[in-house]
Amino acid sequence: MSSRFPFPRFPFLGLLCCWAVPAMAQDPLSRAFDLERRGSYAQAAEIYRGVLRDKPGEVTALLGLERALTPLNRLVEVLPALQAAIRATPGAIPVYGVGLRVYAAANLMDSLPGLVDAWARAAPGDETPYREWASAALQRRDRPTARRAFQLARERLNRPDALAAEMAQLAAAEEDWPVATREWLRAVRQLPGYRSSATATLGQAPARARPEILAALEKESGPEAARLSVDLRTRWGDPLGAFDALTRLLTGPAPQQIDLLQGFLEQARIESTTPYLQAQARALEALAERWINAPQRARYRLDAARAYADAGERPAARRMLTLIANDSTSGPAVAAGATGTLIDLLVKEGKVEEAGRQLDRYRGALLVDEYLRLRRAVAARWAQGGDLARAEEMLAADSSVEALALTGRFRLYAGDLKAASEQWKTAGAFAGTREESTERAQLLALIQPIQEDTLPALGEALRLLDAGDSLKAAAAFERVGVGLPPDGGRADLLLFAGRIYAGAGVAAEAERLFRAAVQPDAPGTAAAALLELGRLLVATERGDQAVAVLEQMILDYPGSALVPQARRLLDQARNAVPRT
Amino acid sequence: MAGAGLGLGLLGPRGLLSAGPSVHRAAPYLLIPMDDSQADHLKAYGLTFRVLERGGRAEWFLNFRGGAFLVPGDGATTRDAALAGVTSEPVSEGQVTDIKAQIQQQNMDAVPLEKPPKIAVYAPPNASPWDDAVTMVLNYAGINFEKIWDEEVVGKGLTKYDWLHLHHEDFTGQYSKFYLNYSGAPWLVDMVQRNTAMARQLGFPNVPAQKRAVAEEIRGFVNRGGFLFAMCTATETLDLALASGRADIAASYADGSPMDPDATRKMDWSQALAFQGAQLELSPNIPSFSDIDGHQVNSLDRRQPLGAFKLFNFSAKIDPVPAMLVQCHRDVIPDFYGLTTSFTKSTLKPSATILADEPGAPWAKYIHGELGQGTWTFYGGHDPEDPQHQIGDPPTDLSLHPHSPGYRLILNNVLFPAAKKRELKT
Repeated sequence: MSSRFPFPRFPFLGLLCCWAVPAMAQDPLSRAFDLERRGSYAQAAEIYRGVLRDKPGEVTALLGLERALTPLNRLVEVLPALQAAIRATPGAIPVYGVGLRVYAAANLMDSLPGLVDAWARAAPGDETPYREWASAALQRRDRPTARRAFQLARERLNRPDALAAEMAQLAAAEEDWPVATREWLRAVRQLPGYRSSATATLGQAPARARPEILAALEKESGPEAARLSVDLRTRWGDPLGAFDALTRLLTGPAPQQIDLLQGFLEQARIESTTPYLQAQARALEALAERWINAPQRARYRLDAARAYADAGERPAARRMLTLIANDSTSGPAVAAGATGTLIDLLVKEGKVEEAGRQLDRYRGALLVDEYLRLRRAVAARWAQGGDLARAEEMLAADSSVEALALTGRFRLYAGDLKAASEQWKTAGAFAGTREESTERAQLLALIQPIQEDTLPALGEALRLLDAGDSLKAAAAFERVGVGLPPDGGRADLLLFAGRIYAGAGVAAEAERLFRAAVQPDAPGTAAAALLELGRLLVATERGDQAVAVLEQMILDYPGSALVPQARRLLDQARNAVPRT
Repeated sequence: MAGAGLGLGLLGPRGLLSAGPSVHRAAPYLLIPMDDSQADHLKAYGLTFRVLERGGRAEWFLNFRGGAFLVPGDGATTRDAALAGVTSEPVSEGQVTDIKAQIQQQNMDAVPLEKPPKIAVYAPPNASPWDDAVTMVLNYAGINFEKIWDEEVVGKGLTKYDWLHLHHEDFTGQYSKFYLNYSGAPWLVDMVQRNTAMARQLGFPNVPAQKRAVAEEIRGFVNRGGFLFAMCTATETLDLALASGRADIAASYADGSPMDPDATRKMDWSQALAFQGAQLELSPNIPSFSDIDGHQVNSLDRRQPLGAFKLFNFSAKIDPVPAMLVQCHRDVIPDFYGLTTSFTKSTLKPSATILADEPGAPWAKYIHGELGQGTWTFYGGHDPEDPQHQIGDPPTDLSLHPHSPGYRLILNNVLFPAAKKRELKT
């Protein structure tokens, strides 16, 4: 049986061939290389064997023989040539590497210690023989032998930290986390570059083992242990605790502190949940404090402001932005970015008057597209607050499709369904972001069955929803819905209101409305309502009721495009497939 | 089955009279095609099984439209097909006559299905439902089964069942030889504790001795007329345990004494179901039991790559049993690993029937045979839709593989005991 991996261990072979063939066309080694390149491994092996018969210590030929026999799955046949090579040149280090691989392939594991002894005699002080022995054992998942190899290395080399990284990985594989921690620390102390490997390996420890690892690190002295602890706490969901621990390490010269903070920032950027954003913001602020170069300092402050804003710490974000504004050395690009962030922040906080003032003040500093985007954001906020006239006035001079889509939404807030539909159709499907576009399509589908051209109560319900008052909005949608004919939008609005309640976690109200939305005169909506009801029942662990509802949906509306989803949910409700 | 047996009147405003892929006006029969027109091959078996559970009768049209089923066109069955998303075609008496005439003239047969087998799945009480291909597919198809373990088997509990499934149990009592390489892993610690406690509770000196007793009970079950279906490492280790009456084949970590170095010679293969003359793996460090498995997935220097296996084409009229077991809409199926992936042909007893093998390779994938009044079927590999299956992999969601040919073979085995017995030629 030929191997699936013809050259896994010899990536340099192609390079050798290119070099060797023209220069040494008549040389047997060159011929053998060429045969290997063409895939004629058996012929190549014969040539290598011929060379080794004349020169048993010819290392190049021995390596070639190993290469040629590996894809033929006949590596064991190297054995006689190998033994002859060791006898001929006991000091040739590469021969022992071949020997180890061949012995392992031949399942001569008992002979490996002798070979390792000979190798160690030829290369005193070298860790390689022991590492290779352990590696061969680990390929067979023989961890006790691998450990024996590492321990022997330490004894013979008289170095208790020899092969620490390898020992750490072995301990981690056996889930012996205190030993893995101790060994990784040894490895990091020897070579700081091991820190990322240590973090990656220890980071995979199960939750139950983590306190033990952190306690082991606490007991150790030195900055390596503290830094490893910071990295691991960041990875394990405690970035703020990690940052506090990091601040205790910020005692050296500024470049060293900056290095530590940047390393932490890199780790903290693995997630964008609130604690991670808070930790990022603190680290960025601390970096800005330590940076002398003014534009770079301003950039860090701007990034800190954005992270604070995203984390919901708006006063801190404003503090950063004010520092930038008061710093005359901040560059114009950073100042403009700070202004944009500040206006976004003010809009989110509902301080729309202040946001408008800032927008007018810094109009000249902002890029045109950014200015228009911010103006639309301010206008949208006015509209959500109920001041439609002011909002529409702000966008009067804006002829972009985004503005058209937004004014369509303002018309909807006013209850002018017909004008809203027309404006959205004019704006087209691609105005704004993909999410905005999808949402417009959903709203169009919602108002389509409604006969009336104007319905102010529906507009008010939508405005409440956009302003973030979900529960009031859901109640308003329901009130509007019950006043409409069954096939004239009632079922759709009840389903919509039910979805808002479900999203807000008000399961009882959602269930009531989903059931109410099952109207015989609105079959498309009824199928969707039953599916939503099924989802709700599955989510609230009422599998039997979910089964009945989903069966009803499939049988009553077999032509619905939602039937495949209902069948899959039915399987989940019956525990016939794993829940995803 | 929820709602089974409901009539037309309870089906809602549109009910069975609506248009749709599986909802029809009443017809005397429904044909469940099993070729590429079928929307859910796996659930089609469940549908047929439930017809039998309701006391109905069905027919299995071997080699006709991928091994189609003919079921009654009653309200309950129609409703069931609509709910399961199983494609069905209403057929009249005349159409059935035409189909049977076609079956008579070609390599096809119509096998009556009469009684649903009572199914047991051998699995430890803590086994996840998603760690066993058979449990998964039975759940997905909606076929009822019961779980049993050592206590029930040793306590003569197998007499209650017609069909028994074994998955990746190690009947040599060596915990799939994971003991050394996964020492300390919580799942292994749990497995060892659970098995040791059970051996003690049942009065056996150690786990290997107790598992051998379980294996012998299973052999007795087949001998008395039971249908055994085994996958993965249960296939190989069941026979190793049965043949090891005169030799200690367990490593010292399992029974306190090392494996007998002369164990291979001392094996009594006359006690085994499928295999003979195998060479045992003597090293406790190598997670392999013997050379029965052709692929040796966990032995890096011996592992063979996955290919595809081909189902044999049997004469439906002369060899209905193997023909039933290989009904499929694909005859070449991608292979999948398991602790035991395949069966080296040189270790098969001459009486074993090869149902599928990899052309050109020295191993078979799917084999069948008889013992006394019963039959056994062995299917190598762990999960047909997770070819590289690793410990800790996410569970397979069969709703994403409703046409899985590899899983169909399992379900052939579930329905085959329902076939009306008649003189078989094989």
